[in-house]
Amino acid sequence: MTISRRSFLKGIAATSAAGLIGPSLLQQAVAAASESPGQWQVSGSHWGAFRARVYAGKVQEIKPFEADSYPTEMLKGIKGIIYSPSRIRYPMVRYDWFLKRHQSDTKQRGDNRFIRVTWDQAIDMFYQELERVQTQYGPWALHTGQTGWRQTGQVHSCGNHMERAIAMHGYSVKKVGDYSTGAGQTIMPYVLGSTEVYAQGTSWPLILKHSKTIVLWGSDLVKNLQVGWNCETHEAYEYLEQLKEKVAKKQIRVISVDPVRTKTQKYLNCEQQYVNPQTDVPFMLGIAHTLYSEKLHDENFLKTYALGFEDFIPYVMGKSKDKVEKTPEWAESICGIAADDIREFARLLAKQRTQIIFGWCVQRQQHGEQPYWMGAVIAAMLGQIGLPGGGISYAHHYSSIGVPSTGAAGPGGFPRNPDNPDDRIHKNNDFKGYSSTIPVARWVDAIIEPGKKINANGATITLPDLKMMVFSGCNPWHHHQDRNRMKQAFQKLETVVSVDFTWTATCRFADIVLPACTQWERNDIDLYGSYSSRGIIAMHKLVDPLFQSKTDFDIFTLLAKRFGKDKAYTQGKGEMEWVKQLYDECAQANKGKFEMPDFATFWQQGWVDFGKGENWTRQADFREDPEINALGTPSGFIEIFSRKIDRYGYDDCQGHPMWFEKAERSHGGPGSDKHPIWLQSCHPDKRLHSQMCDSEAFRATYTVQGREPLYMNPKDAAQRGIKDGDLVRVFNQRGQLLAGAVVSDDYAPGVARLQEGAWYGPESEAIGALDTYGDPNTLTMDIGTSQLAQATSANTCLVEIEKYQGDAPAVTAFGGPVEIS
Amino acid sequence: MKNTVRRFWQIVSKPSVHLSFGFLTMGGFIAGIIFWGGFNTALEATNTEEFCIGCHEMHDNVYVELQETIHWQNRSGVRATCPDCHVPHNWTDKIARKMQASKEVWGAIFGTIDTREKFLAKRGELAQHEWDRLTANNSLECKNCHNYDSMDFNMMSERARVQMKMAAERDQSCIDCHKGIAHHLPENMNSGDGMLAKLEAMATSGYQVGQAYYSVRQLPMFTDSTLTTEAGQLNAATKVTILDVKGDAIQIEIDAWRKTKGFGRVLFEDFAMNINDGYLTKEVAQSDQYMQQGESKEDDLTGLPWQKVAVTLWLRNGSLTDSRDRLWQFAKTTYDTSCSVCHTQPAEAHFDTNTWPGMFNGMLSFVNLDGDTQALVLKYLQKHSSDFADGAH
Repeated sequence: MTISRRSFLKGIAATSAAGLIGPSLLQQAVAAASESPGQWQVSGSHWGAFRARVYAGKVQEIKPFEADSYPTEMLKGIKGIIYSPSRIRYPMVRYDWFLKRHQSDTKQRGDNRFIRVTWDQAIDMFYQELERVQTQYGPWALHTGQTGWRQTGQVHSCGNHMERAIAMHGYSVKKVGDYSTGAGQTIMPYVLGSTEVYAQGTSWPLILKHSKTIVLWGSDLVKNLQVGWNCETHEAYEYLEQLKEKVAKKQIRVISVDPVRTKTQKYLNCEQQYVNPQTDVPFMLGIAHTLYSEKLHDENFLKTYALGFEDFIPYVMGKSKDKVEKTPEWAESICGIAADDIREFARLLAKQRTQIIFGWCVQRQQHGEQPYWMGAVIAAMLGQIGLPGGGISYAHHYSSIGVPSTGAAGPGGFPRNPDNPDDRIHKNNDFKGYSSTIPVARWVDAIIEPGKKINANGATITLPDLKMMVFSGCNPWHHHQDRNRMKQAFQKLETVVSVDFTWTATCRFADIVLPACTQWERNDIDLYGSYSSRGIIAMHKLVDPLFQSKTDFDIFTLLAKRFGKDKAYTQGKGEMEWVKQLYDECAQANKGKFEMPDFATFWQQGWVDFGKGENWTRQADFREDPEINALGTPSGFIEIFSRKIDRYGYDDCQGHPMWFEKAERSHGGPGSDKHPIWLQSCHPDKRLHSQMCDSEAFRATYTVQGREPLYMNPKDAAQRGIKDGDLVRVFNQRGQLLAGAVVSDDYAPGVARLQEGAWYGPESEAIGALDTYGDPNTLTMDIGTSQLAQATSANTCLVEIEKYQGDAPAVTAFGGPVEIS
Repeated sequence: MKNTVRRFWQIVSKPSVHLSFGFLTMGGFIAGIIFWGGFNTALEATNTEEFCIGCHEMHDNVYVELQETIHWQNRSGVRATCPDCHVPHNWTDKIARKMQASKEVWGAIFGTIDTREKFLAKRGELAQHEWDRLTANNSLECKNCHNYDSMDFNMMSERARVQMKMAAERDQSCIDCHKGIAHHLPENMNSGDGMLAKLEAMATSGYQVGQAYYSVRQLPMFTDSTLTTEAGQLNAATKVTILDVKGDAIQIEIDAWRKTKGFGRVLFEDFAMNINDGYLTKEVAQSDQYMQQGESKEDDLTGLPWQKVAVTLWLRNGSLTDSRDRLWQFAKTTYDTSCSVCHTQPAEAHFDTNTWPGMFNGMLSFVNLDGDTQALVLKYLQKHSSDFADGAH
């Protein structure tokens, strides 16, 4: 135990005072002297666990949880979320909608003029609209499937609440897939037999022990591991620290394949292999050509564990399809890497144990299926899949994947489905020929072109004619692409409901807005470490719900009460009963494996620690016995050629990985003559998607003149007369925005970055209006990756940048609605 | 012996010399009443809770367990005592049960279960007797009080309503689902592994040769009735036909397909569909002794050769059910609950049979399912995939 000078002096003061006053008085005096007033309570978040000092009904101070050795800086933003001026205070209804209901003038949508109503009024309107849409149209007109990153906590998980309550009323259109990994999770089951993007990866200790080379392919571990799906533990950083040491000692060579010097590259002090944006596949085809020509590929592995190599290699050698030989020279002309460097890179991969680690960015672009598939082909050719420290992974940057897992069970959740799926107020399940499930990123297409038939993953989807949408803890006006197209689409919607704690752009474009409270204004429980299962964390309510906000649980209980299903909804249980039930069920599931104290003890202690987990190697069982432990592909083997995909007959995703030119590509590609700069919109460093953008003081630590930073190369800046700290206008044929320039060598010429999640703040509701804060999706393209996944193509986006002249309009993104009274 | 019988017959067949006809008939009648009354009184005395818990085996084990349950104490004050559930109420069955009970007397005298440890070791067998009996009479003793017709489904919780309505439609035996309702379950069924216990509880008691059954979970298979040499593992919800029963061992036949790339160890339910029926050891997979090989054809979508086979092997008695629907119901509930914690679970028919394993494998890290339940849920999804559903999407 170390004694600080301060505590030592306090100790002396206390002992000397003991002689003068009695012991009981003294204890109080010591308590007051040693600590600031209030109580320290445990809670959790996507950013990790923490202890908060609560005094006078207010969160005063936040410090990292003692078990978290690598807390994220973002904990500093938590207080600002609770006390943000953007908090939704009261139930609000869009002014014109309040007057004319579903026959309102939807061109006014986005003017941010709202009127305050009571909870009773708001819930009545919500319920009446559900009734109207179910009876006037049917389940095909209601879409409630768009759900996202919620706040943490398994009882109050907002999507579960919204979908359960709505489902007890009637059916509605659902989604499949998500905005983060849509292409990856669709293609990889065909290739490696699992989504890969959400699968556990080889444990870091094994990678550190066995890998000689680690390739980070568009993966920024240090940036992205700050947040997790459940309460994040940050355990992975311990291994990154060890990796940094090994890089310094030249025991492991780490190469970051990326057009940008990433946070990880700078932290590890490792090498970078620059590649032109969106041209990873030509680079990889060049590598495959070298491996094959120089006989560096593992024929035995391919024969035993893979199918279709013989159908693929003619494409590389110029014997099939386009008849172009994919030599390193051919690749060089597209990807910008010298042919000899491509050869060297290929030889390095084959020379010794190589772990390839992909991030998610490369699949969030047009034809995003291809780089993932091609990566698996390279890994199969190297023949190291299933070896510790070898092979390929697609998610070591996500939620501490790669931290050895304890295998302990976590708490379940508040049930998303009604207990009796047939017991609904409206039993009409007739979608009138429309699809009841649509690919997640195609709902705006549905609003604009209802009835249109599109291909998706081997099926034909008929886009439903949506009239009403309900969002809860979900902000599509951040994560969907092409704001001006969204504005156009939202003019066709009759009613939009948004339930949130903060006035996002989705609230601005909604009709009924209900104030939920933050996760720190309710009691809950969460898994500590999504994949490591480190423990269970108690989430103590820190303060009462602010203003008129309510928990999601209470909001949807009120709604369910309108149609007489509140008892069925809550199962007659209150908040703490649910928290306790999830804990007890979890304890039961862990019985005999992990002992958990009784609930009261747990709640008082604040967490249960399951300890550290066991090392594990991905696909090792398959390598050991590919017959019994077959992959989940149609054949059970790695499918380099997929006959199944081939039979779909898609031109943009064929039987094996291929290079397809993009709709827009920088560095000499299509559209680069007009808008020469590639805009990447990766996951932010100082937010979780759009969460925490409303945290004022913390936002001020990274904004430039109050705007979202736009990162760009010094040469590009100089050419345009832009200096670091200038206001810039970023634009293309789809939209325009204001941002603050950060000029940095970390960005290659022709490459710029706006981090997604920057709040949309349009100057007005008009289509084409300037975005005053810097949301990259004002500029991105709203097309599917291909007919296979139909996922988002956010990273296929070209822009031009200019110095902004004249008086800049004020930022409109924050601070809530304009209240009409 | 033969002489004794003849002499006895000679005596009773002669008319009586000393006793009047009236005395004989009336006296016989009265003696009969006394005897009958005494017998019945004695019988009824054995039919009270007091008698049942008279021996410490009952008193210290099952009786204390009963006291923790709703059958002991409840808001309406109606208590079920031992004989209410364990002694048949109609006379013939009651006598039959009483004769069986003589074994319990033997046990009490010779101390078969005179310690808690011995009792726990024996509990599985004892429980199985009661389950078999209740299965055979369709849970008659439960239904003496609980009647499907008298149930108000509207007063039940939603979950209970679904299950109970289904059960009522089929007049299902209560014990199928409510094992362990008054006493603890046998240890191997309640080892903290709630899911597994629920699966095991679905097993049918008593099998018929020639009939088809389904495995409730993954089960080891053996080459012969001694159950010594392992032959592989049967997957959950796999259809088997019973060929023979020999004590603890049952001989089964599995009609399946296999891929002939490799050793052909993995069995699939149908041609070109990766619905796993189990796997075999290399020796068994390549031996004609256990395998009857049928037609071969190539699966066009993968280019792999497939072969039809009939496999004959042995299982340990137990863990089979005659109703796959019951397994599916359990699997569906598990899927709907476990896979909707983070997102809406995709409809079963959203993917085809051979796509489900990839999707399912890719999400497993997030759910708390043991191996048996995983296997069962995956099979459920595959069997309800777009290949088996009309009008998917």
